Amino acid sequence: MKRPLLPALAITLGVAALLAADAQPRVVSITLPTETARLADSPLPGAALATALCSTCHSSDYVLTQPPASSRAYWKNTVIKMQKTFGAPIPDTAIDPLTDYLVKLYGAERAAAK
Amino acid sequence: MHPRRRFLRASGLLAAGAALGQSSLARAADAVAGTTGAKGITLPFANGERELVAYPQKRPLIRLTARPPQLETPFSVFNDGVLTPNDAFFVRYHLSDIPTSIDLSTFRLRVRGKVANELSLSLDELKRLATPVDLVAVNQCSGNSRGFFTPRVNGGQLGHGAMGCARWTGVPLRALLEKAGVAAGARQVAFDGLDRAPLPGTPDFVKALDLDHALDGEVMLAWGMNGADLPVLNGYPLRLVVPGYFGTYWIKHVHDIEVLDRDFSGFWQATAYRMPDTPHHAIAPGTAPKKTVPIARFTIRSFITSHAEGATLPAGREARVRGIAFDSGHGIREVAFSGDGGRTWRAATLGADQGRYGFREWTIPFTPAARGPHTLMARALNRLGESQPLEPLWNPAGYARNVVEPVRIEAV
Repeated sequence: MKRPLLPALAITLGVAALLAADAQPRVVSITLPTETARLADSPLPGAALATALCSTCHSSDYVLTQPPASSRAYWKNTVIKMQKTFGAPIPDTAIDPLTDYLVKLYGAERAAAK
Repeated sequence: MHPRRRFLRASGLLAAGAALGQSSLARAADAVAGTTGAKGITLPFANGERELVAYPQKRPLIRLTARPPQLETPFSVFNDGVLTPNDAFFVRYHLSDIPTSIDLSTFRLRVRGKVANELSLSLDELKRLATPVDLVAVNQCSGNSRGFFTPRVNGGQLGHGAMGCARWTGVPLRALLEKAGVAAGARQVAFDGLDRAPLPGTPDFVKALDLDHALDGEVMLAWGMNGADLPVLNGYPLRLVVPGYFGTYWIKHVHDIEVLDRDFSGFWQATAYRMPDTPHHAIAPGTAPKKTVPIARFTIRSFITSHAEGATLPAGREARVRGIAFDSGHGIREVAFSGDGGRTWRAATLGADQGRYGFREWTIPFTPAARGPHTLMARALNRLGESQPLEPLWNPAGYARNVVEPVRIEAV
């Protein structure tokens, strides 16, 4: 007997909650625009690793916007920082291929930089 | 017509056909202001191409990164007034699990640790805690202008748009800590926001202030920004306002405050956001510091906002040059202007004082006598006697740039 009343009651309460909330909305929600930056394809073995591992935590523009002269040491230290300091699940065996890809596509060893 | 506006209109027409591939900030900035449908902007350093993207509650801003969002204010906005509109104010996050839906019926601000009474307050309860105060204050990212460092340094490659000035409304942090009752032996107060990392092993973004700083009566828990609620991306429903200090301390979506009997040792304070422990926090370019300290107060800065790099002015006709200056709260005493690359300087007229933590407008008449290039410069001086260097200082993280920023114009 009571069951049919429940939806109506819930709706009533919902309306009451809305009316009780003065000028201030109780819930504010936003929807973020989509990402557009993408890591470039490459035959280097680090390409797939970078797409899989780096994008877990951040968009690719973190990589793409770095200064073009960023050194191999910078990229290697950054990969290690992501692994050790930020806890990214980067296997030790991936460090060198990731570094190689990053410095050759987005750093001092870019084809365009030579 | 205002010279800047005339330039905007003229170059807007030019930019309509060729918005991409321009290396001049002037032309790029005017592509933003002067044309519709422009999707990009080029900051004037290598690899400075950026998208312009409208985020929720925001006009199109310069997107540095998408996840988490980092958005920079187009520089032309700073010529519109000393208060930066909420929809143009820069956005900076560190960790990508950011709050996109906030329910005030469940939001609570918790105060815990070395206090007599732990607190858990709704926003309404916090608003009733003390008489609300208003404060005009600049917020600036530690790495604002990092892209201009030479040699370049890694990190977020920002132009000059990771700063803004707003009228913040809130209650003094001191009122909250007094209600909680700080226990004897307390040393620091740590602040955490709702933003988190997607992985459990990533250090959460938490920052701390010394207890006497937290109790200074100026540090504020703010819900209001220029008379409206904080935009979500600027920390809705509540953020820390730390006047005169770099944005790294202005925790957004703050929901957890812990009073500590020790110095906070989290990654973002003990390892990141450090400056060389040297005079002016500067070291020789390309070297590493021996000892570091946490970044703290703003350095003094000034900008010319009325004329962008590459602007043209009629020779022999008086123009009005305008700009902004700010420091860490000692107050701007004078802004010197040079129309000849720093050979001679004149004092500009300061605009209305909105408070010692805000942008201070300045203006000065300038007549380019001869046709050809002219280098305009502004240099601020505060009440402590601090000024801006004419040659850039360098530190490895690219923080706190405050060199005099020349603007080259052409008299025609």
